[in-house]
Amino acid sequence: MAIFKREIPTAVLSFVGVVVLLAFFTTLDIFETLNGVFTSWIPVVSAASVGLGLIYMIYAQYMNYQRNKNLNNLIYLVVPLVFFVIFFGTALVVPGNISSDAYQWLYFHIYQNVGGVIYAVMFFTLASSAIRTMRLVTKDPSGALQFRLEAAALMFGGLIYTLRQIPLFQVYLPGIVGFGEWIMLVPNVGGGRAAVIAAALGAIVVGIRTLWGKERTTTEVD
Amino acid sequence: MATAKERLAKTTRFYQIIWALCLIGMFIPLIYPLGLPVVLSEPVKDYYKQIADLPEGSVIAVSFGASASLLDEQEAQFLATWKTIFDYGHKVIWYCTTEDSPIVIRNELEVVKPESYGYTYGEDYVILPYSPLGEAGETAFALNIRSIYTTDIDGTSLDAIPLMQDINDQSGIDLLIFEYTACTSIEWVVRQWVVPYNKPVIATTLGCCGPMAAPYYPTQVQGFLSGSGAGTELEVVSGNPGPGAAMGDAKNLGILPFLVAVLWMNVKPFIGKEE
Repeated sequence: MAIFKREIPTAVLSFVGVVVLLAFFTTLDIFETLNGVFTSWIPVVSAASVGLGLIYMIYAQYMNYQRNKNLNNLIYLVVPLVFFVIFFGTALVVPGNISSDAYQWLYFHIYQNVGGVIYAVMFFTLASSAIRTMRLVTKDPSGALQFRLEAAALMFGGLIYTLRQIPLFQVYLPGIVGFGEWIMLVPNVGGGRAAVIAAALGAIVVGIRTLWGKERTTTEVD
Repeated sequence: MATAKERLAKTTRFYQIIWALCLIGMFIPLIYPLGLPVVLSEPVKDYYKQIADLPEGSVIAVSFGASASLLDEQEAQFLATWKTIFDYGHKVIWYCTTEDSPIVIRNELEVVKPESYGYTYGEDYVILPYSPLGEAGETAFALNIRSIYTTDIDGTSLDAIPLMQDINDQSGIDLLIFEYTACTSIEWVVRQWVVPYNKPVIATTLGCCGPMAAPYYPTQVQGFLSGSGAGTELEVVSGNPGPGAAMGDAKNLGILPFLVAVLWMNVKPFIGKEE
């Protein structure tokens, strides 16, 4: 079965990868045409992967419930399914589909608000973790004070950039706008570009390993 | 010496107080607006300039990857951008790259109303439906729009839409506005629109994603809006007031308890308070 799990997917990946690379680095029409065909398949493959994701999510929740049959896990399994059926059913059955009043109501009164609340709750977790991370001095087990350089760098950049975004400080803290811009457009750009270049080099290595069939993580999950 | 349980309860109470004060701080300006002036940043000024400097009737494509959950953060950016585009008489092609974006854009055009600027659907603007594009999809769109979209959002064939008659790839587009909410996605547009075609690109994103767009500004990405603050700035620079002003006002006092908490955590070890 390894041939279906590993060899065939790797061969497909390698073939498509080589064709796309040749289309970029050569002027031969055949590769350009094949590249066009492959790129036009993208929406189909993406849509199929969304469907697969749904099946995988339901399966994972079901297995989770089978392993540990308690009320919480039952809720985690049933609630998403109930809402999936409501949303999907409304979109399919009610005339006007996703433009219908019923779907729009579900969307703007349930989905958007729930999503907004989840995003808003993140504020609290982010704020509390930032407060803990920005402690410049901590006590070690013996009770001696220790200075944390990483926390100082984070606090310096993070607070300046944050204050730069707030009108109150823009007005009453002269220079914060210029300083905040400088933080974002000079040290941040230097570090960001270095990270991008490092990631690009890493991506080349992973790409070559994938084309060569040596990158196990592209076809297998631990 | 307090037990671990007591310390946890004490810490939780501390954060609960901070959060409550933050919430109160955010609500006060909504009731009593402070109305403080907004200072414009360079990426926002350049973002506006890219739209304003285009000749009237230019075609702008908007890769619209909006999320309904994040509208509080981005709606000011969107509304001000659409109004600016309409003010300058440019044509627009929205193509939706997230499940939420078709509903979001339709809802926003109910607010901005292109028809009030003399626009006609199909001639001056068009909305293309959701397609899960990703980076490779952006490549496909730039190469051959009809390989991704054969109809508009209402199911009308692109060939029957006057605006799309002569447009089938990146050559028919004068400016790309890239809207995204996953911070590293900015690289897609750099790799698929800027490097191969040298297409002018500006971007809209979340506040937290601004620092990741900055390395590409101003060479590859000529301007960007990050967060509701940038939306407020665009409202100011374009002269199109919107919801951004209230958002900016709410942040003024909401941030203060957070700053006090950071200060307290750093003073605490020096005054002998327990960690």
